[in-house]
Amino acid sequence: MGYLNNSVVTVDAILTKKGRELLARGDGSFRITQFALSDDEIDYTLYNTSHPSGSAYYGEAIEAMPLLEAFPDETQIMKYKLTTLPRGTARLPILATKSVVTLKQGQSEAITPQTLNYLGNNQTFETSGYTFTIADARVASAFQGVGINTEEANRLNNTTTLGTNVSKTVIGTSLNITATNVNTLFGTNTQLQTTLTIIGRDSGARVTIPVTITKVN
Amino acid sequence: MSFKRFDAEDLVIASEAVSAPVWSTGDPILSTLFTSSTQPNLESGKFYYDVYQTGSTLENAAVQFSIAYGDLDGSGSAPYNPSVVGKSPSSTIYGQYRTLVLGDEETSFSFGGVNQEYFYAIAIDRDRFKESLLPASFNLTLKNTSNKTLKLTDNSAAVTTVSYNDAGRVYQVVSGSNGTPYTGVNANGYTGTSGSYGLFLPDVGVILLNGAALDISGTAEGVALGTTRGTTNAGNPGKLFQLINSGSSFQLNYKETVTSQFVFARVRNSEFNYSTNPSYITGSGDLRISSMLDTPQSYITTVGMYNDNNELVAVAKLSRPLLKDFTKEALIRIKLDF
Repeated sequence: MGYLNNSVVTVDAILTKKGRELLARGDGSFRITQFALSDDEIDYTLYNTSHPSGSAYYGEAIEAMPLLEAFPDETQIMKYKLTTLPRGTARLPILATKSVVTLKQGQSEAITPQTLNYLGNNQTFETSGYTFTIADARVASAFQGVGINTEEANRLNNTTTLGTNVSKTVIGTSLNITATNVNTLFGTNTQLQTTLTIIGRDSGARVTIPVTITKVN
Repeated sequence: MSFKRFDAEDLVIASEAVSAPVWSTGDPILSTLFTSSTQPNLESGKFYYDVYQTGSTLENAAVQFSIAYGDLDGSGSAPYNPSVVGKSPSSTIYGQYRTLVLGDEETSFSFGGVNQEYFYAIAIDRDRFKESLLPASFNLTLKNTSNKTLKLTDNSAAVTTVSYNDAGRVYQVVSGSNGTPYTGVNANGYTGTSGSYGLFLPDVGVILLNGAALDISGTAEGVALGTTRGTTNAGNPGKLFQLINSGSSFQLNYKETVTSQFVFARVRNSEFNYSTNPSYITGSGDLRISSMLDTPQSYITTVGMYNDNNELVAVAKLSRPLLKDFTKEALIRIKLDF
């Protein structure tokens, strides 16, 4: 992955893997209808409010940053969305959910996140639901989103990963996850570890939590 | 909210004709050519020779074009079965191009009005010619061991009405350059008695060279190619390759129509001024930088384009972060090529 030449402002555009898939399908599902913005790669701790040259230079270290080219993997880009909120907003939407998920082999759990500080509510469920992505789909024998009955949600729920080390994404207001019973995945270890990323589909709020599966047999 | 819908005028489809050199080197002229030393002994070597821009075993070697020899009588290559006369790789090649170009098994190839029984086919690799070859960009120099050179081009600059056959547009290959015939010997750039030097078929990426014209003596209009028409494998494609290689100048461009979708992402001053970036907020959602409470700022690095199902179908990265706050608006033009 190379850097983009930042001596002039240019735009490097590509189709994502999902975009290529939908384009090949040829059923009109590729149609672009909306956009979102993100600040992937930006580290706001570089914003220096003590800069001796004044406020015009607070963002100097950020604005000089050379950016990487776009990734085609839609799960690795648009991570941190920009949001439109009223001026004076002091608190931004964040997701409230379990801080860790720890399961024994074969054990099931339902995860129902909520969004805090959103649309004037202290705590709310987002209308469009949440996107749940597990980094290693092998650790879960069941990984189903529930509560959102759209074509996209149903299709994602029915996606099979054939026991390969790939991520899996589902949509729902809740997630039902069951830990795997396959002993061979553990090798000589007693635990399997991966991550679960949850994104609010309306707010863009995002949280990543560790998932641990413990061997029992 | 994180998503903004495009208006109808924000999405524009445009087509643009693009031309560029055919060769993977990116240079207009391919001057150094290579074949594989092993291919003549392989089954494919009975039919065609691949030509590379560098040694065929090197990592960056890529086929630029292939040379095949076609013969109505099956001469110039050994028959598939010695007891079946006239059926050999060269007759297979002849029939293949007869179907492709003429579309009629009863018709013979005619080069500039003169029927001929054998030809050489230069088939440009599909990755090289993209959509079609660009007429008038074809300039090929052949040079024999006696240093006789023959410069060939198509006659696209000289014809007022384009001819068509089953392979689309067809131009005559003539002596000359840049689509214009050399009129010093014959006014139309043809040979005196053997017709034109071949057919230039831009829509299928093929150049057929008239073997009989090239076989004419080097002291006359040809280059004494020396096509062998017997019942053994004569390696005729290799003979043409030697002339092309000695000529050291094969110029050809492609032309393709690139359909682009222009997407205009319009960001109003009141939009997208806050971020969900973890370095922007604390664990409870509070702004990490207190000065942003009054003057919130964000930096745009990426534009994600979504369908109605909120699926990310295309993405655009800016070359540097773009500051956004309540006093700034942005218009980002994104070009998607298909």
